[in-house]
Amino acid sequence: MLKRLIGATCAVALIGGAALADSAGEAWAPETFSLENGMEVVVLPDHRAPVVTHMVWYRVGAVDELPGKSGIAHLFEHVMFQETDDLAPGELDEIVQRNGGQLNAFTSWDYTAYYERVAKDRLELMMTIEADRMRDLVVNDDPEGPFISERDVVKEERRQRIENNPGAILFEQVMGELYPDHPYGIPVIGHMDEVAALTPEDGLHFYNTWYSPDQAILVVAGDVTAEDVRPMAERTYGVLAPTGTDTRPERGWGEVAELAESKTLTHTDPKVRQPEWDRYYLSTSFIQDDELAYALQVGLDVMGGGQTSLLYQSLVEDQQVAVSASSWGWMTLHDRAPAGFSAIPAPDVLLDDLEAAFMAEVEAILAEGLSEEDVERSRNSLAAASIYGRDSQSGMANLYGRSLATGASIQDVLDYPERVKAVTAEDATAALRAVFGPDKNYINGRLLPAEETFQ
Amino acid sequence: MTRALTGFTALAGAVLFLAACVTSAPVEEADLVVEEAEVEVLAPVLDVTVHEGDFARIEQFTTPGGISVWLVNEPSIPIVSFQAAWPGGSASDPAGLEGLNTAMIYQMNEGAGALPALEFQKAMESLNMSFGCSSARDWTSCSASMLRENADEAMALVALAMSEPRFDEGPFERFKRESEVSLAQRETNPRFLANEAMEAALYPDHAYAREMTAESLAAITRDMLAAQKDAIMVKDGMLVTAVGAISPEDFAPLIDAALTGLPAMGLHDVPGPLELGAPVADPIVRDLPQPQSLISFSAPGLQRDHPDFFTAYVLNYTFGGGGFESRLMEELRVERGLTYGIGTWLSYGGELAAWSGRSQTKNESAGEFLTVLKGLMSEIAETGITEQELADAKSYLTGAYPLAFDSNSAIAGNMMDVRQDGLSVDYFDRRNALVNAVTLEDVNRVAGEYLKPENFTFVVVGEPEGLE
Repeated sequence: MLKRLIGATCAVALIGGAALADSAGEAWAPETFSLENGMEVVVLPDHRAPVVTHMVWYRVGAVDELPGKSGIAHLFEHVMFQETDDLAPGELDEIVQRNGGQLNAFTSWDYTAYYERVAKDRLELMMTIEADRMRDLVVNDDPEGPFISERDVVKEERRQRIENNPGAILFEQVMGELYPDHPYGIPVIGHMDEVAALTPEDGLHFYNTWYSPDQAILVVAGDVTAEDVRPMAERTYGVLAPTGTDTRPERGWGEVAELAESKTLTHTDPKVRQPEWDRYYLSTSFIQDDELAYALQVGLDVMGGGQTSLLYQSLVEDQQVAVSASSWGWMTLHDRAPAGFSAIPAPDVLLDDLEAAFMAEVEAILAEGLSEEDVERSRNSLAAASIYGRDSQSGMANLYGRSLATGASIQDVLDYPERVKAVTAEDATAALRAVFGPDKNYINGRLLPAEETFQ
Repeated sequence: MTRALTGFTALAGAVLFLAACVTSAPVEEADLVVEEAEVEVLAPVLDVTVHEGDFARIEQFTTPGGISVWLVNEPSIPIVSFQAAWPGGSASDPAGLEGLNTAMIYQMNEGAGALPALEFQKAMESLNMSFGCSSARDWTSCSASMLRENADEAMALVALAMSEPRFDEGPFERFKRESEVSLAQRETNPRFLANEAMEAALYPDHAYAREMTAESLAAITRDMLAAQKDAIMVKDGMLVTAVGAISPEDFAPLIDAALTGLPAMGLHDVPGPLELGAPVADPIVRDLPQPQSLISFSAPGLQRDHPDFFTAYVLNYTFGGGGFESRLMEELRVERGLTYGIGTWLSYGGELAAWSGRSQTKNESAGEFLTVLKGLMSEIAETGITEQELADAKSYLTGAYPLAFDSNSAIAGNMMDVRQDGLSVDYFDRRNALVNAVTLEDVNRVAGEYLKPENFTFVVVGEPEGLE
């Protein structure tokens, strides 16, 4: 169900693609080529089952929205399922599902992606459909029509994801404070009042500006080879001339200003039964500073990446002031990403006391530095995750699509295990100090029950 | 709780996925080829029955230790996944000790033999493996994932956990603290409240309606855990599946080392027959201060071995299981913009057979939503579906079936489902023919029997408006 998921950039480690050799002794590798119109193509062979995952990634996302038009990238993604010059309303879903296909799409700050999973002999049909809506979408301008009812659907989606969810409400507020002058501070799904005012004209303008083959990346994972894919891609996508190239603005990415001061945001809600604490800093991303990002990834994993981590062992096991304690970073974003800490207090522990204990532990870890033994275990874990990652065809398609759409290369993905293994204990410690040092400002988020006191 | 049989998975509303990365650890670059050759020389001859299926090549064998295994040898990625399951889950917890089985499985990877919890977890990371157990309503399972190159060591660690779990005080007290927090959190969880209300309405006295409470949590003591494991994790009824880059000959001794030490038999409560109460005519409302109402609905359904099961399964696609091709989605989302999504599914297995669905709509439109929903139920029950709708459902359900076999983990899960449902090894190959054999006449008879709105009980969680 639930077409048109929204942004949720996964905080989980970037899972590297291939690297370690197969038991068969041959290194697995993606195949890649470009069409004459500028559309990039990546083929990820996986011959275990006669199925494919077909994805089209557009280099456009919520960062590219005009002021006051928050939510248009995501609402427009919904509209992409409605009708084209060849397909009547509802026909697109109907054709794909009659062919045993599953389809969906998602929008992030940095990209928008559409996909179908289907038997491999239906691949060209999927390409035909995607190429059709890349060029010949019909945006219905009836002021009471399907654009408007889809807008209502998105408002329900916003209620479901954000407004029903105290943690999500607080998260929106925190991101607004963390990125006051950057589009990451605006929710991907949009502000409710701005979404409610979006028009079919906004949708058409967005389409004409951004949806063009030179802005798109085709990813096909599954039981195919580049040799199979190329002629099909040329017949379907290859015949589309690029459009909008003269008027298209630069992507909406940009500098992220340092925080002027630290702040604490508190959201109280009658639905909160268990207080939670998060702290957000500005870090980096693999695109902005890959050396720092790799080191930070390892550092975050050692410090708070799971049950064996330093924070968990101290706060949950030894001091027993928390039932969860972790550190995280979303360095797969294009621009400087948030990184930070999260904890849920143990029963009867006050949030202030938890925060004090947590930050004392962070201070101690930064002062002492990470041990070589812990760092080795972590970097090997992160590197090996790329082997397990290969089990998921759609996961692989996502990994490569997301990486290319945010400006990384295929080689960057392939190099992931080796790069992560090259991180030293000194690198990881230095990265943590650079991001979480005592001179750094942050935003605290506190989620509390509506009552004055709890327990 | 229930297994959903639908082509589309309902989706939680989480806005940001902050799951910790499940990472596993160092890669010792051993020479795989030599290792395999050595084992093959020493391995005993196994009697392996190969099923050359359309979707998977399943090797069935019984280990020298007497354990029946279904294995798919898939060499293209150097990983192995392994799963064992036992009848008896959370619904078998004794009355007053709800949560006992969960407390037991929580500690299966929290220390074994000479390794306390932290050392055990670090050992798993060093082997780049994962291992853990889970407690479902009617089944208890353990699973492990490992790299082929150190599968011997990984399975040795699994063997240690299966034979000598420590059930230490520290992890037990941590389980209790975590559980106290989740008991608090569930008080405002709309899905939990909806399930609780539905259970209270339809089978209040059955074991399936019992949940962990503060009292039952307090009554569970650490000395119960070892006995609980011996009651559930026994050789009698145990099912084992595996998928990965390993042969039956190589894997059989590793499985034996892990599992042959389990007790032969165990005793645990078995939930009695479940008789659903009469549907409740008016919607049951649970107040929760939020802008959107959760609407949950449930009616009697069909067990897996019911002669009409596949008919209902195909019908469910057109009713509410087929995403944008379902009638409920088409009318409630596409036409009316009343919801982000709606899905229906058949739950079966154990003692409960239900036909259920769930959606969300703003509080102001809850009344309209329910009226339209009931109208759609009446329509499909009275006039049935069209020949075209049936053809579309079959076309999707059969055409999409290969997608369910696109990864080792998916194949492993499907094989375990087949074994738990007591189906034969050729089920995957027969399944599309069962879908195609469904007739319009039967579909419309089943629709008339099962999908009448008066069969359903509706639960609304939120601050709904416009309900009569």
